[in-house]
Amino acid sequence: MSLDTAAKLEAGAEEALELPPRPRPSMLMIVIGLGALFFTVLSARRVEFSPGDLISNLTRSNPVFDGLLNMSWDEMFSSRSRKAFVETLQLAVLGTTAGVIVSLPLALWATEIGNPYVVPRLILRSINNVIRAIPDLLWAGLFVLGVGIGALSGLLALFFFSLAVMVKLTADTLDGIDMGPIEAANAAGATHTQMLRTAVVPQILSAFSSYALYDFELNLRASAVLGLVGAGGIGQRLDFFRNRGQWDKLWGLVLMFFLVVFVVERISVSIRRRLV
Amino acid sequence: MIRFDKASVTYPGGVSAMRNLDLEISDGEFVVIVGLSGAGKSTLVRAINGLVPLTDGGLQVNDHDVPNLDRKGLRALRSEVGMIFQGFNLVDRTTVLNNVLMGRLHQVPTWRTLVARYPQADIDIAARALERVEILDRAYTRATNLSGGQRQRVGIARALAQEPKIILADEPVASLDPPTSHVVMKYLQQISRELGITTIVNLHFLDLATAYADRIIGLRDGELVFDGPGSAADETTFRDIYGRSLTADDTMAKQAAL
Repeated sequence: MSLDTAAKLEAGAEEALELPPRPRPSMLMIVIGLGALFFTVLSARRVEFSPGDLISNLTRSNPVFDGLLNMSWDEMFSSRSRKAFVETLQLAVLGTTAGVIVSLPLALWATEIGNPYVVPRLILRSINNVIRAIPDLLWAGLFVLGVGIGALSGLLALFFFSLAVMVKLTADTLDGIDMGPIEAANAAGATHTQMLRTAVVPQILSAFSSYALYDFELNLRASAVLGLVGAGGIGQRLDFFRNRGQWDKLWGLVLMFFLVVFVVERISVSIRRRLV
Repeated sequence: MIRFDKASVTYPGGVSAMRNLDLEISDGEFVVIVGLSGAGKSTLVRAINGLVPLTDGGLQVNDHDVPNLDRKGLRALRSEVGMIFQGFNLVDRTTVLNNVLMGRLHQVPTWRTLVARYPQADIDIAARALERVEILDRAYTRATNLSGGQRQRVGIARALAQEPKIILADEPVASLDPPTSHVVMKYLQQISRELGITTIVNLHFLDLATAYADRIIGLRDGELVFDGPGSAADETTFRDIYGRSLTADDTMAKQAAL
């Protein structure tokens, strides 16, 4: 290396380096950004949203918020509320268990690994897409109309809701498993069912258990709302106080429910962390 | 006995991995198949247990007419043929014993598999297989917690648990270091000799092939280009099989020295 180039290199180290020209933001991103802004403003105008109204309405003395400040503690522990809480938990446990058990074979049959036949697989996937498109509250409403007011409707709603969640998550997990053990099981002369049980299920079991717990959390929260359409559980009790305008008791129940969900969720999250 | 009769395999897409193969392997032989990757070694081995179907010609394995087997017949054939894989193909998240019990599936009723209650007799067979590759003490260890060599020994135990007449090994040492490779090859050789199991091993290291094979079969572009005893294969033979001069990559000892 000549002295000259060495000197140049030295100088170059201190000079600001010239970057290539900065790429322009893509046209598509600009259009999407402007579109999002436009629809937000349009929607706000349509629903006549105004921050002023929001504040004045919320700060005006109203019975609902008065109830929040004078929460009734005795309703939290009344025997009727306790019964409703127990029913909510039972709904969540039963709905989750039933949904989880049925979801495993359905998830297997909805994937190429478990079901080599294209047409039945597509049918199963489409049915599951339809089930998933219906929100839990709508399921509950449908079953209340179909089988009547009460916990059975709630149970059925949670069952279908669980199926939708579990089949989707499990099928996605199945798509990413190691195919090696499957080949080994086939080479050992296993039947299709044996292969699924020994080579596939052990691979997804911890993820599946984790999804089941997550599904239980979802169902517990959903079961509170289900009562609003008459599908049993604590929601029916909440609805009762709402209709009578007994806001202090309503808020007491809401707080209690919050505590139950919080505790269950903490436990579930810590178990799930250990599973994965 | 294994007999290929003008057998061919053409994959969808037109790749010809076996061309007009005539080959007979007698009971109890220890055969090593050599060839470059893509020469059709895996195809040959997987044709024997029906994992890859022939597109033309015939194949007789013991008393099974492989191209004409239905599903049940295929399972019966596969129950007699153990297989060992390059990537071990173990279920990582379960125990060594459960992995080896996979070799017993052809004997175990499906309902027992579903509830994971294996008959004691099958557990005993699995334990004996683990004992033979000297890894019985790890029976309740999860497969993830084993080293590569240990995992391949579990792979061998799984094949042995089938009480097979034939063992197929597809590049069984390609993921292992040289000393471990020799351990695995010695187990395979010993098992073949002591139990009289026909063993067919795919290898791409020539020194390993000559060290262990009773018989070497050379493949090139899906065609048989060499068939003879291990002692008859020298550097010229391998140059023919590989279609090029040999490099350090082709022998494990030289590659390890690099």
